[in-house]
Amino acid sequence: MLEHISAALTVAPIQRLVNGHAWIWPLCETIHYVGMSLLVGIIGVLDLRILGLFRSLPMGALKPLVPLAMAAFVGNLITGVIFVTGTDSGASFYIENLSFQLKLAVLLVALINLIIFRLTGLEEAVYATPAGADAPYSAKVIAVVSLVAWTFTIVFGRLLMYNDTLLLFLGM
Amino acid sequence: MLEALENCALAAWVRESPSIFSYTLILSLHAIGLAIVLGTSTLIALRLLGVAPAIPIESLRRLQAFIWFGFVVNLVSGVLLFIAEATKMGVMPAFIFKMSLVVIGMVLGQIIRKQVLENERALTTNVLPASARSLAILSLCCWALTLISGRLTGYPELVTALFGS
Repeated sequence: MLEHISAALTVAPIQRLVNGHAWIWPLCETIHYVGMSLLVGIIGVLDLRILGLFRSLPMGALKPLVPLAMAAFVGNLITGVIFVTGTDSGASFYIENLSFQLKLAVLLVALINLIIFRLTGLEEAVYATPAGADAPYSAKVIAVVSLVAWTFTIVFGRLLMYNDTLLLFLGM
Repeated sequence: MLEALENCALAAWVRESPSIFSYTLILSLHAIGLAIVLGTSTLIALRLLGVAPAIPIESLRRLQAFIWFGFVVNLVSGVLLFIAEATKMGVMPAFIFKMSLVVIGMVLGQIIRKQVLENERALTTNVLPASARSLAILSLCCWALTLISGRLTGYPELVTALFGS
């Protein structure tokens, strides 16, 4: 089944584009790192504030930056698709890679966590929290899940090229 | 001297240990550290440019402490990564450029602190000094270039193609 998914995700025109210009891949990587940094700087800081750091910050003050974090995520999604569909060895390099699979899994956790944050109205409650005050307890749980999930997204992302080390660690 | 560094036991461990807790963990920490430094510096720069004006200037000083945390993580992980390949990195233009930009970026951060974040008028009235805008733009450019040159340390052939040898 993985071979079918890999075959479907290997996109020859993107492979040709990526192979035709040596600067495209590093440019996409740079954009991917920018997106990662913006997510850490905005969502990471919001999570830490929810957990009690940077108390002089009213949580609602970060709200205008959240659309930028969303745009950063979309940028990473797009560059991510370029990596998977355009790598010259074919998408199987990623699809069959345990680090990549785990990265997508924790990413999904982060996204579900975000959806819960929104749908339960916790997000609005958090933005209403002024400087010096505590966020609701359930928001703190969301913040911890968020920090852990995004941290592991970065870790598994870094491990992609060193998947053998992960397999060795897991005794596989 | 670069050879001596590369041959030391610690460098050998970083390079050769099959453990997930050596090279791969150090790489992950370096990515997290850079995200903290770049992300938080961007947050501060955006505030100085007038985005998210509800962020108190006083909070930005606390956020600078977070940048220092990320910087220390990257200093430690960076030294370990460097010694593992000291003879290659020590003479690589992209790496030397990146290190210069890191120094400039952190110095800019201190200038921002002195001129803006500790400015009495800014702290009490949220009115920023005229220099805030330029400092913010410089900071954004500096860290963007740091990121790009950092990426380019992995592409020596591309660097030669773009800039000549």
